[in-house]
Amino acid sequence: MAQAQVPVTVLTGYLGAGKTTLLNRILSEQHGKKYAVIVNEFGELGIDNDLVVNADEEVFEMNNGCICCTVRGDLIRIIEGLMKRKQKFDGILVETTGLADPGPVAQTFFTDEDVKARTRLDAIVTVVDAKHFLGQLEQGNEAEEQVAFADVILLNKTDLVDPEELAEVEGRIKAINRYARIHRTQKSQVELQAILDKGAFDLDRILEFEPHFLEHGHDHDHEEEVKSLSVTADRPVDPDKFQKWMGALLQLRGQDIFRSKGILAIDGAPKRYVYQGVHMMMDAGWGTPWKEGEKRASKLVFIGRNLDGDNLKRGFEDCLK
Amino acid sequence: MKLDLANPAWRQSLPPTRTVATDAPAAACAFSRDGGTVAFAMGDGGVRLLPADPAAPAPDAAPPLHRGAVLCLIGDPTSDGFVSGGDDGRLLRIAADGGAIEIAQQTGKWFEHLAAHRATGAVAASAGKTAYVLKGGELREFGPHQSTVAGVDFSKDGSRIACAHYGGVTVWSIGQVALPPRRFAWAGSHVAVRWSTDGKFIATGTQENDIHVWRMAQATDMRMQGYPAKVKSLSWSADARFLFTSSQPVFTGWPFAGKGPEGKPPLQFGQEGAGLMTVVAAHPATDYVAGGYESGELQLGDIKSKRSVVIKLADSSPVTCLAWSPDGQKLAAGNDRGDLLVIDLRR
Repeated sequence: MAQAQVPVTVLTGYLGAGKTTLLNRILSEQHGKKYAVIVNEFGELGIDNDLVVNADEEVFEMNNGCICCTVRGDLIRIIEGLMKRKQKFDGILVETTGLADPGPVAQTFFTDEDVKARTRLDAIVTVVDAKHFLGQLEQGNEAEEQVAFADVILLNKTDLVDPEELAEVEGRIKAINRYARIHRTQKSQVELQAILDKGAFDLDRILEFEPHFLEHGHDHDHEEEVKSLSVTADRPVDPDKFQKWMGALLQLRGQDIFRSKGILAIDGAPKRYVYQGVHMMMDAGWGTPWKEGEKRASKLVFIGRNLDGDNLKRGFEDCLK
Repeated sequence: MKLDLANPAWRQSLPPTRTVATDAPAAACAFSRDGGTVAFAMGDGGVRLLPADPAAPAPDAAPPLHRGAVLCLIGDPTSDGFVSGGDDGRLLRIAADGGAIEIAQQTGKWFEHLAAHRATGAVAASAGKTAYVLKGGELREFGPHQSTVAGVDFSKDGSRIACAHYGGVTVWSIGQVALPPRRFAWAGSHVAVRWSTDGKFIATGTQENDIHVWRMAQATDMRMQGYPAKVKSLSWSADARFLFTSSQPVFTGWPFAGKGPEGKPPLQFGQEGAGLMTVVAAHPATDYVAGGYESGELQLGDIKSKRSVVIKLADSSPVTCLAWSPDGQKLAAGNDRGDLLVIDLRR
């Protein structure tokens, strides 16, 4: 009855950033894999694949009184429909509109039981237009939020900017989300293994990868800024206290916390406890076992707006044994 | 009618059953109007036709009719064939001998929902945001709705169709006189719709683990909560006294006789342990009701005696579809793994 969960890659990026080019690249490469592609009717045309399904970007507000809890009803229906096919897929690619908030897409994979049983959110891949990103940041929240949600970022069209401008753009991206892997590309050319089948729960790598942690401190923060930060601990975590704290935190601040991820060393448990959340919705499970003699450290990552690092740090420390 | 759950024979041996193993998920099943054939909508694009009599020889599978998965299927109310819709955007009319003709094609859309009205011979279908009604060789469009249509059903007299969608239900008059559509609003994503067998109520299942029911006459509504999962299958008893719903571990029927279900608990009976009910189908004439479960188990229940029997035929794969024959003496079921069953309940 239980079958393997199909990995889902969500592609986001501002209008004209290069999503369709990337999509066609994924589909045309000789990888021997079969992908179903879910696009939206407002999206750019010209996708070359016979398994393209039109979605309507139908955002469904949950009736739990929380404005940040939204899912995509059309996505749920399409995934249920795809699962009725005899021929299964190696993966599903979801392309979102250039102006879409990736939140409802990502939350769909945490909320709907049928979707959760059959698929797993593998990664959110955001394509950034190096030439226009800074301008897009001025125009609204969309470009910023797309970067904030990303697990992987394609910093595209690098040939259209000079090295100084590119460094500035990359700096802005890292100030928003320092945990996403950044690949500099031209015409969306990237090794597919850099973006596909990343394993949403395989966070060790993402959490270890933090070379810029000290470069972008809190000194230039101002109100309304989207940023990322992490809290760490060397002592084991009390699971009950953690659940309580995280539950209350997301209930209170869920709208501003776009993504939260973590690997926890639970007191007495032989395996990593892997946690991830989108807005108020969260999911957790046991990950890989700790190795003999390995240092059991915990780390939590938050990406969002108006994050109070000291408060998060204190809250997390109260969850330790 | 020899269906008798009190009969000890039910507990001692299985009724005559046909089991066909395939390797594609079954999305829907239906009996033909004359009850002679049962059809299954398959995930490989095929529509599998089997004689309803389990003892009759089963023909081999025919080549696929749709590209991709067949998503919906009903008995054709105007013939002894069937109507199917697929994720290839095609709506087909299938003759009893398996020959098919295309009724409609919507490129880039999926035909996902179908309903039939036996007395008028009308068929309702939905693809994307639009509903279609096929009647007397004419195909008419209703919509587009504000969002994807997630279920269609006819009123008792066949003069209207109810279309479920995000934010509620829209009822269209399908006669020649174009009346304005009537909206029944309730927030949330409505994923299934069933008009009561007496025509007085419209019930929907929602993405948010509850059901919603509108009273047609007074335009008042009610909401029943507490389901552990979204409710995708609804079935009214033949006399409209109970609305049965999936997504509980036992048969769950809301009482609509008298003043209705407000303030009353649902009728609940049956045998727990098979996970949640995935599909429910009330008998077309009697007080019996059939349920299919996550575990693959089938149960047959009797509203009156609250007895139930387990018909454990296939194992391990969730039941995806259930259908009663028009005379109510046979039951068809399919599951997610591709096991197809036809059970002769006459003993």
